[in-house]
Amino acid sequence: MSGFARGMRLSAELVGGVVIGFVFGWLFDRWLGTSPWGLIVFLLLGFAAGVLNVMRSAGVVQESRPDGRERKS
Amino acid sequence: MDDPIHQFNIVEYFTLGHIGGRPIAFTNSALFMIIAVAGITLLLVGTQRSLVPGRLQSLAEMSYEFVADMLRSTAGTEGMRFFPFVFSIFMFVLFVNVIGLIPYSFTVTTHIIITASLALMVFFTVIIYGFWRNGVAFLKVFVPSGIPIYILPVVTAIEVMSFLSRPLSHSVRLFANMLAGHITLKVFAGFIGLLGAWGALGWVGAVLPLSLTVALTALELLVAVLQAYVFAILTCIYLNDAIHPGH
Repeated sequence: MSGFARGMRLSAELVGGVVIGFVFGWLFDRWLGTSPWGLIVFLLLGFAAGVLNVMRSAGVVQESRPDGRERKS
Repeated sequence: MDDPIHQFNIVEYFTLGHIGGRPIAFTNSALFMIIAVAGITLLLVGTQRSLVPGRLQSLAEMSYEFVADMLRSTAGTEGMRFFPFVFSIFMFVLFVNVIGLIPYSFTVTTHIIITASLALMVFFTVIIYGFWRNGVAFLKVFVPSGIPIYILPVVTAIEVMSFLSRPLSHSVRLFANMLAGHITLKVFAGFIGLLGAWGALGWVGAVLPLSLTVALTALELLVAVLQAYVFAILTCIYLNDAIHPGH
């Protein structure tokens, strides 16, 4: 895979996590009126999820499969 | 000269009917989807079946082998029950991307609604099949094994967010790659016309953007095939979670 494609892929993973965190935090606040705490917590969680996504797709965190082989992506 | 994003305009050809007061139109996007599906059908059904395959027949066989190997290596033999699903997605995205490279054609995947629909279809397939097959045990996908109990709630929350962000990154990646590539191509091709209008000196200068456009076209062909592959392999990886939920 070319470097550009890899970069696009990893940045999409990170941004995806943060955006989902934002959307959920915002909806949570709107629903329960807890602004801004829901946004703060969910953004942090989303950022962590984004970093986790990036590390998974970059292969830093290995995930073992049931038959013991490593997952390739 | 049209502006670089003119190529993404949706043109309505005729109206098929109304649903809830909104017109359902047959657009250029729909036309190119039908062309892609017709092309796939022609490739898979229309080619002759001989023992020694011809060019088109070996192309059809190669695409089968390629997707089957990809699915087996990521989701195991059990994943093969999803072969028609993954194969349809791969071939559709591949054909739509490659047909979009033909000048004056329309690239369906440059609209995020298309890629988001495909990604959400995969997302819900994973959830529904995961629960149908594993029951509550599917929730193990959110609980990695070997985590101390006191940080488990945080890790589970992060895993849930990670799972929910999948359709977003899945769809944005294909959409952004195709959109950016087509805009770049159009901008560089536009420079040729601008420089060419300057007379003899401009003609010499236009050689640079022209050669870049040729090179970019080759790169875009690579990106079109690669993104179809990436979309399909991510589908396989996500389906693997539905089949084997434990980490």
